[in-house]
Amino acid sequence: MAVTDLPTPPKRETAFGVRMRRWRDLLKTLLSNPTTFIGFLIIFLLLAMAIFAPFLAPPNVPDPYQMPRDWGATRMPPGTPGFPLGTTNQGGDVLYGVIWGSRTSLQLSVIVVSVTVVIGIAIGSIAGLVGGWIDETLMRIVDVFLSIPELIFALAVAAILGPSFTNIILSLCIVFWVKYARIMRAQIILIRQADYVQAARVIGDTKLSIFFKDMLPNASTPIAVQATLDMGNIVLVGATLSFIGLAESGIAEWGVLVSEGQAGIASGRWWASTFPGLMIFLWALAFNLVGDGLRDALDPRTEDKR
Amino acid sequence: MMQPPKTDSTVAMKAGDTLLSVRNLNKHFPIKDGILQKVVGQVRAVDGVSFDIRRGETVGLVGESGCGKTTLSQCVAGLTDPTSGEILFNTGQGSQLGDGDRIDKLPKDRYRTFRRNVQMVFQDNFASLNPRQLVVDIIGRPLKVYREASGSDLTERVVALLEQVGLGRQHLYRYPHQFSGGQRQRISIARALALDPELIILDEPTSALDVSVQAQILNLLGDLQKERQLAYLFVTHDLGVVRHMADRMITMYLGKVVEQGPTETVFQQPAHPYTEALLAAKPDLADDPDKPFALLEGTIPDPARPPLGCRFHTRCPRVTPSCGWEIDDIVRFLEADESLFQSLQGVERRSARDADLIFKDPASAVALQEAMKSSSVPEAMRAATERLTVEGSRLRATFSEVDEVQLTERGPEHFAACKLDHLSR
Ligand SMILES: Nc1ncnc2c1ncn2[C@@H]1O[C@H](COP(=O)(O)OP(=O)(O)O)[C@@H](O)[C@H]1O
Ligand code: SF4
Ligand SMILES: [Mg+2]
Repeated sequence: MAVTDLPTPPKRETAFGVRMRRWRDLLKTLLSNPTTFIGFLIIFLLLAMAIFAPFLAPPNVPDPYQMPRDWGATRMPPGTPGFPLGTTNQGGDVLYGVIWGSRTSLQLSVIVVSVTVVIGIAIGSIAGLVGGWIDETLMRIVDVFLSIPELIFALAVAAILGPSFTNIILSLCIVFWVKYARIMRAQIILIRQADYVQAARVIGDTKLSIFFKDMLPNASTPIAVQATLDMGNIVLVGATLSFIGLAESGIAEWGVLVSEGQAGIASGRWWASTFPGLMIFLWALAFNLVGDGLRDALDPRTEDKR
Repeated sequence: MMQPPKTDSTVAMKAGDTLLSVRNLNKHFPIKDGILQKVVGQVRAVDGVSFDIRRGETVGLVGESGCGKTTLSQCVAGLTDPTSGEILFNTGQGSQLGDGDRIDKLPKDRYRTFRRNVQMVFQDNFASLNPRQLVVDIIGRPLKVYREASGSDLTERVVALLEQVGLGRQHLYRYPHQFSGGQRQRISIARALALDPELIILDEPTSALDVSVQAQILNLLGDLQKERQLAYLFVTHDLGVVRHMADRMITMYLGKVVEQGPTETVFQQPAHPYTEALLAAKPDLADDPDKPFALLEGTIPDPARPPLGCRFHTRCPRVTPSCGWEIDDIVRFLEADESLFQSLQGVERRSARDADLIFKDPASAVALQEAMKSSSVPEAMRAATERLTVEGSRLRATFSEVDEVQLTERGPEHFAACKLDHLSR
C-alpha cells in the first residue's frame, strides 16, 4: 500500500494526467465486465445511429422528426427495395422511424436526465444543508412523489398537460427528480459530518467552495449510477406515454410507431410495431446494463482497491 | 525523550505570551426523544473547562474516550459553538486578553487571523482527506483560500511542505487512498502547516497508527515545533504520548478538568486519584496501546446524568464520605443486583441525597438496608449515610450534604479537584 515502494513515476506527471488515468482505469474495469461491455456496445451503436441519422436516412422536409409518407408504398413488407424494414399503413419508412426515433429518444433522455439531476441535487442539498422544517417539508413532498409509481404519475401529469411530445418531456421532468433529491440529501447529511469537511472549515474555506469541492464530488457516485439507469428508464416510460397516445401522431418516435403499427399485427403486418419496439427494448436494456456495471465498479468497498 | 519544563513559576509570565484562553467553557448536547423530539436531557460533554495555551508550548489533554476531548478541541478550533463560556485568542492586539478577543466576537479581519493561526489534525487519517482530491490540491487548498500562491508557485510551496513532513515531489499527484496511514497523517500535518499557524490542535493524531509509525509521527511533530515555535493542543488517551510531548497536561473526566499542571509534576506527584489510576495503568510509551486503563474498575457513568459531587466518586479507589454520595449511587448498586432491582418499584426523591425507595415487599427493603450496612457497599458510602430506615416496603435513605469539589492549587501551576489534600502512598 505504501507509495514509496512503487516504481518512480514518469517525470512529467500532471494533475490532469493522473485524473485521466483514474477515468481510464474506471473505464477498463467497466469494460472488463462482459454484460457492461455489451451495454456499452449497444449504447455506442445507438448513439452513432442518432448522431449520423441525416446520413443514414435523408431528413424528411420540412420536419425531419415527422415520418415521411409515401401513399404509393403503404404496408410494404420488410425487404421491399428502398424499404428494408417495410412501411407503415401511411407509407412511412419503418427504417426511417427507427433511425430518427433514436434521435428523439436521445433528446428526451438527455433533457429529462439533465433537468431532473439539477433539480434533484438542488432540492436534496437544500434539504440536507438547511434542515429543520424546510427539510421536513421537502422530504414529505418527496415521499408523496415516491409513493406513486413513476409511470402512473407521469401519465396523470401528461394527461393534464395535454397530448404532445413536449408535454411528455415536461411530465417526466416533474416526476423523475425525486430520487436524486433523496439520494443527494442522504449523501449531504453523511458528508457534512465528514472530517474532510471539518478540515476545510478549519482552513477557512467558504461554504460555497466546500459544497463544490467536497460535497458534490463525493456525492456524485450514486447520482451518476441513478442517472445512467434513468437514461434507459425515461425512454421506456416516455415511449409508453406516447404509445398510449399522449404524443402527436405521425412523429418519428418509437412509442408512437409501436402504437400506430399494432393494429396491423392481427393482419400479419408485424414489422411496423416490432422494429421500433425492439429499439425501445435495446435502449432500456443497454443503459440498465451499464448502470449496474457502474454501480459495481464504483462501490466504495471495492473502489479503493484499484 | 523528556523536555525540560518551559515554564518556570519564578519568572513572571509575559502578558502577551498567552496565545489562547478557554474560560468556563460548556458544551451541552440536547438529548431528544419521541416523535416530537422533545429535549429530555443534556449530555454535558464539556462542563466548565478553563485553561490557557501559551506560545510555543504543548498542552496535553488526556482522559478516557467519551470524556469530551474531541468536543473541547472542536470548540477551540471554532468548529462548534460552545453552549456558554468563552474562547479568547491573542491576535496581537494589546497585551492582555480580554472580552474583545472572544473568537465569536472578533471583527472580520481579526477572525481571519484566528482562523489562519489555529489549525487542526484529526484522528482518522483517512476520513480527514477528501478522497476525490489529489495531494497537491489538499495541501495547496489553504494557500488558495488565502490567495497566498497560485500556479507553479503553489506547486513549489506544496513540494516544500511535503518535504518538511518527510514526503516529496513524487507524491504531489496521488490520491489519499494510495498512501499508508502514517503518510496520510503526514499529509494532514502538511496541510495544517501550510498557513504557518501558531497553534495546531492534534486530536489523537497517532492513535489510529501502528506503534512504530506513531513514534515517527511524534518525532516529526516535535521537530516541527522546534523549527516553527508552534503551540500544540495535544489530545490523547495515551499517557506515554503526553509525557513524551507535553509541557503541561490536563486530565479530563466526564466533561470536567480534574487535574492540570506541568507534565513532570503531575507524573511525579499526581494530585487526583483519577490521574493516579491512569498513571498506574499506563506509565510509559512501550505499553500495549490497546488496553490503556486496566486498573480502573467500573464503567464510565452516563454523561447525561453525571454523578453528583466529585464525578469520579463511583470509581475512585480513594473515595471518602464527603465525595458526593447520592441516591443514584444506591440505584447503581441495585442495578448490579438483579433480584433486588426487579423488586424495586419506584424512587420518591426529596432531593438528590434524600429519597424513599419503594419495593414490592418489606423483605426486599430490609435486604437492601442490610446490604447497605455491610461491606458490599464502599465503606465511605456507609459513612456518608445519615439515615437508613425501613417502613413497610419503603426504605428511606439520606446522605449528608457536602460541598462541591473545586480545582484547588497544589503547587506551582498545579491544580486538582479532589477532596483529598494529598495522595499518600
Ligand atoms: N454531536 C453530538 N451529539 C450528542 N452527543 C455528542 C455529540 N458529540 C459528542 N457527544 C457526546 O459527548 C461526549 C463526549 O464526546 P467526545 O468529545 O467525542 O469525547 P472524546 O473525544 O473524549 O472521546 C460523549 O458522551 C458523546 O457521546
Ligand atoms: S474527591 Fe477525590 S477522593 Fe473523592 S472521589 Fe473524587 S477523586 Fe476520589
Ligand atoms: Mg475523541
